[in-house]
Amino acid sequence: MKRSLALALSALVIALYCLLPFLWFVLTSLKTPAELAAIPPRLVPSLHWGFYQSALFDHGLARYIGNSLIVAGTATLISITVGSMAAYAISRFQLAWTRFYLLALLAISMFPQIAIAGPVWNILNHLDWLNTYHGLVTAYIALSLPLAIWILTTFFREVPVEIEEAALIDGCSRLQVLRKVVLPLAAPGILTAALLVFIHTWNEFFFALIIMTDPDIQTLPVGIALFPGEYTMPWGEIAAASTLATLPLIFLTLFFQRGIVRGLSAGAVKG
Amino acid sequence: MRDLFCIFAILFCLLPQAVNAQATLLRAVISRTDTPQLWDDAIAEFEQQNPGVKVVKEIAPNSSTQFHDLLTQKLKNRDTRLDVFFMDVIWPSEFASAGWALPLDRFFSTTEQGKFLEAPIAANRYRGEIFGVPLFIDAGLLYYRKDLLEKHRMAPPRHWPELVDQAKTVLAAELDPHLVGYSGQFKQYEGLVCNMMEFILGNGGALWDEQRLVSAVQQERAKQAVRFVRDHIISEISSRGVLAYEEPESVALFAQGRAIFHRNWPYAWRVANDPEQSRVIGKVGMMPLPAFPGGKGASTLGGWQIGISRFSKIPEVAWRFVAFMTSHQMQKRIAFSTGRAPTRKALYTDPELLAQVPWLESMLETFKQAVPRPRTPVYAPLSNIMQRYFSAALALPGSKIDQRSALAARDMDRVLDLLRETAAP
Amino acid sequence: MKSSHRLALLFIVPSLVFVSVFTLYPIVESFRLSFYRMILTLPWLGQKMVGWENYLDLWTDPVAWQALRTTLLFVAITVPSELLLGLGMALVMNEAFRGRGVLRAVVLIPWAIPTVVSSQMWRFIFNDRYGLFNFVLFGGDTARYFAPLADPRFAMLAIMAAEIWKTAPFAALIILAGLQTISDEVYEAASIDGATSWQKFYHVTLPLLWPALLLALLFRTIDALRVFDLVFVMTQGGPADATNVLQFYGYKKTFAEGMIGYGSTIAVTVFMISLILALAYLRALKSERLQGAAR
Repeated sequence: MKRSLALALSALVIALYCLLPFLWFVLTSLKTPAELAAIPPRLVPSLHWGFYQSALFDHGLARYIGNSLIVAGTATLISITVGSMAAYAISRFQLAWTRFYLLALLAISMFPQIAIAGPVWNILNHLDWLNTYHGLVTAYIALSLPLAIWILTTFFREVPVEIEEAALIDGCSRLQVLRKVVLPLAAPGILTAALLVFIHTWNEFFFALIIMTDPDIQTLPVGIALFPGEYTMPWGEIAAASTLATLPLIFLTLFFQRGIVRGLSAGAVKG
Repeated sequence: MRDLFCIFAILFCLLPQAVNAQATLLRAVISRTDTPQLWDDAIAEFEQQNPGVKVVKEIAPNSSTQFHDLLTQKLKNRDTRLDVFFMDVIWPSEFASAGWALPLDRFFSTTEQGKFLEAPIAANRYRGEIFGVPLFIDAGLLYYRKDLLEKHRMAPPRHWPELVDQAKTVLAAELDPHLVGYSGQFKQYEGLVCNMMEFILGNGGALWDEQRLVSAVQQERAKQAVRFVRDHIISEISSRGVLAYEEPESVALFAQGRAIFHRNWPYAWRVANDPEQSRVIGKVGMMPLPAFPGGKGASTLGGWQIGISRFSKIPEVAWRFVAFMTSHQMQKRIAFSTGRAPTRKALYTDPELLAQVPWLESMLETFKQAVPRPRTPVYAPLSNIMQRYFSAALALPGSKIDQRSALAARDMDRVLDLLRETAAP
Repeated sequence: MKSSHRLALLFIVPSLVFVSVFTLYPIVESFRLSFYRMILTLPWLGQKMVGWENYLDLWTDPVAWQALRTTLLFVAITVPSELLLGLGMALVMNEAFRGRGVLRAVVLIPWAIPTVVSSQMWRFIFNDRYGLFNFVLFGGDTARYFAPLADPRFAMLAIMAAEIWKTAPFAALIILAGLQTISDEVYEAASIDGATSWQKFYHVTLPLLWPALLLALLFRTIDALRVFDLVFVMTQGGPADATNVLQFYGYKKTFAEGMIGYGSTIAVTVFMISLILALAYLRALKSERLQGAAR
């Protein structure tokens, strides 16, 4: 009895810890300007949507969200496609150099962004791909491939080789095996990897900051980080923008939480 | 599937271009203002006078430092979707040297330049060419609570030590826990250099030796000034909070009636007399900054200019915008609405303007004598070094100013050495 | 070449191209540039090879040393804290109780929030006029409100708090996954042997969890060394350089001051530090695995 009470209490504390700061921000976004400026801060807002209107229409939030969708979506699609191919090869063809490739990818994913930001900017500059969707998308593909390949390899490894070999013996070509046997089985894993890559590229800030300087195509993190200030910070609008920026991610996360946790821990436990 | 993909991708790349095809888009990066209506109206008027041109404005971050970082990132990116930008008074040399700003001599004749105040024009020149048109001028000024000084029978201070004593007296007498003696900008950003330069120059010191291209912050007079600020201004009559203040926070403190003395640019006069923001309307006085005994009061030259990007595809249209914004009429309107000081000499004898903004006349001398910060393409790293030094010296009690200034001087000299190397300019 | 090898190569090549061009080549280029002097605002000086000069400058640069100290302090405090907190959370979530699934979902939320959003959020919480932090500490006594982000003594603590808040749940999930691989039989055997809860934890849980912990430690350390978004949004490196972490310093040098060569030197240094730490961890992990296998 005492144990379950302690457990319930701990669970509550953990939930509050995770939710409270963000909840505070969301509540802020629903205040009126007067309530926002109240010192000491008012705890309960009236449901005022002015900040949301201002954030969406005066500050171009809708445009930022659109840009992020395009960039993150495209990068995820290509990254998962390319990554799946590589992961399949690595998981099926146990060659010495494939293992090395995997470790090299791990090492690469540890590079600090600053170490590659300058030259990446230079390359995009030469290609005239700065301030373009394809420029940033290409950079994102390269950045997310290590993560994608690692997770996908883990999932592909779980697809039993016997099933494939049976299909091959039955006369299917490799490509048919891929399409009809492997992909359906690995689909949950691929979806998980796609989700993780999407969230990763959606949240990316550093490269977006230096590559996208035209506000028409800037992504959401840059928009939120550089929210232009009135003489005092427009906290109401920032809170509203942040809420709008985060809610889709939260829904995605809650919906796919099992898969996400599996994906995150796949690397940790089995890698 | 993959083909569909490519089409998709290409479409997205082309989409922005398609939208642009209709009007000539002039993209301007301007600083944040508390009178957006003024600019919107001006832009609307410009568009009326120039059919077929649409101005797209982008508001930059409030902090001059962040504005700089973002603007230079665009220019480095050779962003062709940037035509016109505001420049802080310290950027033209850097932008000119880096090849980001378009030389404006073919548009901006020397006769025309002669109609503007000298100091801002000089700030926009680099190696014989001009790279920006001054929009308004700023100089550091001292604001004070007339009512409090009168109440304690004090005349406005002429020296910094006198100011400190006056503040202490008033604080002791008023017994108001919310009142501080001094509000200025001491956060680690460009404004800190402006504030500190005024103290240093007021003590007979300097930031650098322009002739010999070496640093001067390690000299005794400069160090004395820094010590004074740390030990007297911040420790005795201010709160630690000022170490986090840029202009907005510091003027808010003064306008709320919580500071006796305040250092800021001319715009603060408007704020202090704005019924929506101020509780001290009619109680505020304004004067040139004090000096140290034996020295001369110095004011940092500030202000904003408009430049044209070298990568702009429509320089002629861009120039029309620049000319419009810096015209006699526009500057007068800006001065009327925002209290920002114009850069055209003629406006200082304009009776209409002076009726509305009377202090312009008395401040003209201060503007003419305002001292610019080092005008050099490497000002950005120099400023960062100085910001670092000043911030650490002021924020850390017991900071070793001798050591820190020596280190700052060493770093500044290394940067300045780069200028001595000549290759073809 | 065997046809299977050829196929493998074919499948791997696309990813290889992306990675080589946009990560390997930039790393090599960073290394190269670190030996040059290149300043964007002084283009006439061109690119001059200066050998080890940049590295010597870095060695004698007090700002860089302070940035290193700041970064290492950040890592040293945040990583163990989030692992400890994460461990606590994971232990609770490992127990079977109603609503466990909901709790797990809730715990994912800080992870899902973009770092810039989290940074703005915490900046607002620490605000000295409207912030929750001051309200919780001082209630209605507004005269005592202060700005932690404006004080060199507290700014770093504030940033660390924001980081730990966001990453402890992530650590919790990794650890939870590890906990769940420990089969119940091991615990039952321990119970039969008369072990107490604490003994079970110390002698069963911890050793079996160690590899997962170590891996979480590795990932989190590498990430903490690269902290940037938080600093950019919350403090821009100030006040008085108190939060000037290495990656931010490198960013300022490269992108704000245009000192490309020196910025590359900083970048390479950060990379080398990450590499050394990663190798150390991997070695510890390997030896741990060997020991575990031996047991």
